[in-house]
Amino acid sequence: MTDTAKPKLAVYKFSSCDGCQLSLLNLEDELLDLVGAVEIAYFLEARRKTLPPPYDIGLVEGSISTPEEEQRIHQIRRDCKYLVAIGACATSGGIQALRNWARLDDYAEAVYAKPEYLHTLETATPVAAHVFVDFELRGCPVNAQQLLELICAKLIGRKPNIATHSVCIECKRLGYPCVMVSASKPCLGPITNAGCGALCPSCGRACYGCFGPMEQPNIASLGDHLMQDQHVDARGMKRMLRSFNGYLEPFKQASDHYERLES
Amino acid sequence: MAQQIKIEPVTRIEGHAKITLTLGDDGKVNDAMFHVTQFRGFEKFVEGRPLTEMPSITARICGICPVSHLMASAKACDDLLSVEIPPTAVKLRRLMNLAQFTQSHALSFFHLSSPDLLLGFDADPATRNVVGLVRKHPQRAADGIKLRKFGQRAIELLGGKRVHPAWLVPGGVNKALDPAAREEILAGIPQALDIARRTVEFFKTIVDQFHHEIDCFGNFPTMFAGLVAPHDLWEHYDGTFRFIDSDGIDVVELNEPREYQRYIGEAVEEFSYLKSPYYKPMGYPDGIYRVGPLARVNICKGFGTPLADEELAEFRQRAGNPALSSFHFHWARLLETLHAVEQIQRILEAPDILDKQVRARARPNRLEGVGISEAPRGSLIHHYKIDEDGRMVWANLIIATGHNNLSINRGVLQVAKEYVDGTKLKEGMLNRVEAVVRTYDPCLSCSTHALGQMAMKIELTDREGQVLDVLKR
Repeated sequence: MTDTAKPKLAVYKFSSCDGCQLSLLNLEDELLDLVGAVEIAYFLEARRKTLPPPYDIGLVEGSISTPEEEQRIHQIRRDCKYLVAIGACATSGGIQALRNWARLDDYAEAVYAKPEYLHTLETATPVAAHVFVDFELRGCPVNAQQLLELICAKLIGRKPNIATHSVCIECKRLGYPCVMVSASKPCLGPITNAGCGALCPSCGRACYGCFGPMEQPNIASLGDHLMQDQHVDARGMKRMLRSFNGYLEPFKQASDHYERLES
Repeated sequence: MAQQIKIEPVTRIEGHAKITLTLGDDGKVNDAMFHVTQFRGFEKFVEGRPLTEMPSITARICGICPVSHLMASAKACDDLLSVEIPPTAVKLRRLMNLAQFTQSHALSFFHLSSPDLLLGFDADPATRNVVGLVRKHPQRAADGIKLRKFGQRAIELLGGKRVHPAWLVPGGVNKALDPAAREEILAGIPQALDIARRTVEFFKTIVDQFHHEIDCFGNFPTMFAGLVAPHDLWEHYDGTFRFIDSDGIDVVELNEPREYQRYIGEAVEEFSYLKSPYYKPMGYPDGIYRVGPLARVNICKGFGTPLADEELAEFRQRAGNPALSSFHFHWARLLETLHAVEQIQRILEAPDILDKQVRARARPNRLEGVGISEAPRGSLIHHYKIDEDGRMVWANLIIATGHNNLSINRGVLQVAKEYVDGTKLKEGMLNRVEAVVRTYDPCLSCSTHALGQMAMKIELTDREGQVLDVLKR
């Protein structure tokens, strides 16, 4: 097969910490095979050569936070046949989306003496708030093996095998004792999507929701349990839900609900 | 007529950094500014959150050096709890920080700066990258990948994952060291040590070629600041924070981290959103100081491990004591890498390293806490205030790149004056302007540079903004 016949992969970065792109580079052992299977057509972190669009697969990291980024994402959508948002920032707005509940000016003034030089949007939003996204891969950061699975599946033409169940299932499979039952720690595992391998419960720590909401989470039920049996108040519930994926439904909706209960 | 050259983007961290060079009538550079133009507002949105969440939240500031933020944050929280960390936990934290130094320094030297150093500042930009490096110096490129992997793997074995590990907590660490993980890291030591040694040896053979760059890459007297251990040994995790002057004389030493505000002020320039910390008693901008590998090496009297100390003696002799050129950040980085690998071995061989007692528990005993640790690129300060319930009410973070901001600006100006001729732009001139920024290994470029390449467009414009010349790569 010649280079030109290989599917073309593009990787883009918006407002984020770079951790998700780094997860791709950290594949190390598999990276060379991947480079053999696809033509990396656009990846400024990895190489200089950029090939002209269209690209077969586009991976986007980061949230849309500036007017310039808002324009750029539309062009990227036109350039990519299959567009994947990777990581909490691209799929939910990320940790910086916490500012969406506040006035931007309060933030700017708190951090900087001359905020008028700041060029930024009022909100930090996920890619899907601006353009159609073909697949969203969750996690803060994404699981590199899931990223590999997604790309492989696309190359072969099958559905990617990415779990949509909760972290609880991972804990049970791996035989970790439940931190909520055994240590009374308020855990987001029951409503959080699997993908991390139940990393925190493996250290005896409660899940804090890096992978965002699972499919159809029963947040109200978990909330009732935590508030009745674990002495978490409405403010605590709001805070737990508003972290790396706080601006993503249904975490957003539920956190707004608990905010109303606060007053 | 005054003209400006803009180098944009020198991207990294949410948005862009850019460099503006202002030219005088003769086409020579009059002024230079290094701007960072965006922010995410971490100081604000942590308000109201429990202090126990702080390490995990602040780790998200950066996917390149999350370990450094975890470290400073955990230390600030330790201060709030006022607990003594179990000795094994201290060793494990040190272990992870040294692994972070190893992988980060390897990235900076091999992936980012080697293309300039080994292929030449004026080499064709099409080959002046990591791919060109692999072709011309396959052994060095392989060394870089292996050394970085050694550090990354150690972080993964300790913390469960490489980016944003959840293992550091207020009061210690989450999990004791697994004997199998200890064996695996130890098994990698001989190779890592070989690579670290031969890289320093090699660097010493080429450093003299760069005497012109050494002369003007941020070569000026400034103060230096960083942590130092008892007996003036090199330090990265604990110890005391010290300022020395450009003659190497101790100026001041903080009794405890909470005193930092007496000595460090933060100035804001209208052209950048990266704040400029300065040494308060000297005022702004005279209170310029540098942090990072060069500062740490200048401040300490020795590393305390045999191989690194032998190399340090030669460094002092050839680069000066203290070494003043920012070009020597590279050399200092390699010395630190060598020491880090030696020290990792020492820590892993400590008899109590597998001890299960790795966390002290307490409720907050103080409402204000400060943690200072050394990130690979310099001192990192986290300062928190909490309410009676342990919720954050205020935070201030001074990142390593911030401390170096004044010095980076001055370094850019020095290089630009030396190399840039505004009448005709050449790629090699501007590459040197970028390269001086790269010697500091600032966090805002480490990822875009990750494998040695940066998209760049430089415009030479007149005062009305009309484009006179454009250079793209």
